[in-house]
Amino acid sequence: MEQQVNTQPDAPILELSHLGKKFGDNVVLRDISFTVRAGEVISVIGSSGSGKSTMLRCINLLETPTLGNIYYRGQDIQTGNIPLTAYRAKVGMVFQQFNLFGNMNVLANCVRPQQIVLGRTREDATDRAMEYLEKVGMAAYINARPAQLSGGQKQRVAIARTLAMNPDVILFDEPTSALDPEMVGGVLDVMRDLAESGMTMIVVTHEMAFARDVSNRVIFMDGGVIAEEGTPTEVFQNPREARTREFLSRFLGNN
Amino acid sequence: MNLFEWMGKIISQYWLQFLKGTGNTLLMAIIGTLVGFLIGLAIAMVRTIPVRETDSGFRRAVMRAVNWILSAYVEVVRGTPMMVQALIIHYSLFVVVGMPSLLSAIIIISFNTGAYMAEIVRGGIISIDRGQFEGAHAIGMSHAQTMVHVILPQAIRNIMPSIGNEFVVNIKDSSVLSVIAVTELMFVSKQAGGAYAKFVPAYIICAIVYFILTFTVTRILRYLEKKMDGSSSYTICGSQSDPGAEIHIKREEA
Ligand SMILES: Nc1ncnc2c1ncn2[C@@H]1O[C@H](COP(=O)(O)OP(=O)(O)O)[C@@H](O)[C@H]1O
Ligand SMILES: [Mg+2]
Repeated sequence: MEQQVNTQPDAPILELSHLGKKFGDNVVLRDISFTVRAGEVISVIGSSGSGKSTMLRCINLLETPTLGNIYYRGQDIQTGNIPLTAYRAKVGMVFQQFNLFGNMNVLANCVRPQQIVLGRTREDATDRAMEYLEKVGMAAYINARPAQLSGGQKQRVAIARTLAMNPDVILFDEPTSALDPEMVGGVLDVMRDLAESGMTMIVVTHEMAFARDVSNRVIFMDGGVIAEEGTPTEVFQNPREARTREFLSRFLGNN
Repeated sequence: MNLFEWMGKIISQYWLQFLKGTGNTLLMAIIGTLVGFLIGLAIAMVRTIPVRETDSGFRRAVMRAVNWILSAYVEVVRGTPMMVQALIIHYSLFVVVGMPSLLSAIIIISFNTGAYMAEIVRGGIISIDRGQFEGAHAIGMSHAQTMVHVILPQAIRNIMPSIGNEFVVNIKDSSVLSVIAVTELMFVSKQAGGAYAKFVPAYIICAIVYFILTFTVTRILRYLEKKMDGSSSYTICGSQSDPGAEIHIKREEA
């Protein structure tokens, strides 16, 4: 008994239109517009405080945009026509801090949300959870509690938990930024596999190699606006904007 | 007769009343703590419902009024002695409708505990990191589902010591309800002491019984807490062929 979201099949999965966000008088996002089509992998780069997290959080309505619209398959998500919880199940989110449920073991973290939100049976949910836990290499740890895992392991479980909801698109907010360096590779490998399997993804990241090699499109944010947008080749090799060049030289110079 | 002889005499004459008093004390403490916990849980859940800027004006007004009433309840109950509450409420309301004093006492102790529990549970809820709320919301859980399935199990585990503490406090503080003539331990002791005009031996018996109750309860609660924490290791799946090869990983410091 899966919750159905009314959709227009040929519409882009997501469309942001002149999105703006203020916290009090502090304008954090201005005039953000872009479109996400099925299978696209979009990397969002930019210095700390440029509004990347706020943008992702607006997309799944953890923050309420103060201006503009977000369309999911052609439907405005803020009109209430799409139930918020059904929409969020379709737009997965992976956080820097993993946000696993501390009272559940690895398997339950992946099974219970499917039962609670999608009304799947335990058997069905368990089969799907195991499939994705195997995919991220965490099937051996189903009995462990989050507090017993390393950061990289937690993040891989969080990805499996999101995948088990069968989302249309996954938002990643700096998924490797809280990890010890030796853990980063494993998580990036999982994300690379996902991208290759055709998953639609928006990835906020400081991993420039990932952004360059895996994504179809790169968005560079600065001061709450999209300062530059293009293919990885365009943005990394021929940046048009001075501030993009400055950001990249600061970033790539260090690596 | 010396002190011990008096104590012996009082016990031999009044043991049945002491037994009944102990029963009523425990009854009030157990029901008061349980009902008080449920009241506190309900209040804390209501008070932690997020109010968003985008909610309708009506919804926000209702939420504000409800929150005001709930905090008034918490403040008034916590800011006045339970003995005074008992005297006012029992003699102005419950006597009028013919409520037996034991029932009055249970209601009063429950509402009293509820006010303290509301703050305890709220503390437990806000001690769970915001990330877990967001993780649950982002996956499509409603606020209520997030509370029931994710937050409360952890919050309640974390506040177990405080809940146990409230129970122990209730065992002792229910003694003030002797003012409305509930036949609990304190009331029985006063009667027994009065019968011989020997209050000190009667109250020493009383104190010993209270101490046995609280000491036992404290031990039991500590044992239950340990059990609730469960195993501190887990088994890597796929190593069953050789039990000696099981890898046990110690719980990280939380
Ligand atoms: N809840 C909030 N309240 C007020 N200001 C916020 C809040 N969240 C983020 N901000 C501000 O918005 C700006 C953008 O933050 P963020 O989106 O986290 O940037 P990034 O993810 O690119 O580092 C920062 O200046 C930050 O201080
Ligand atoms: Mg951020």
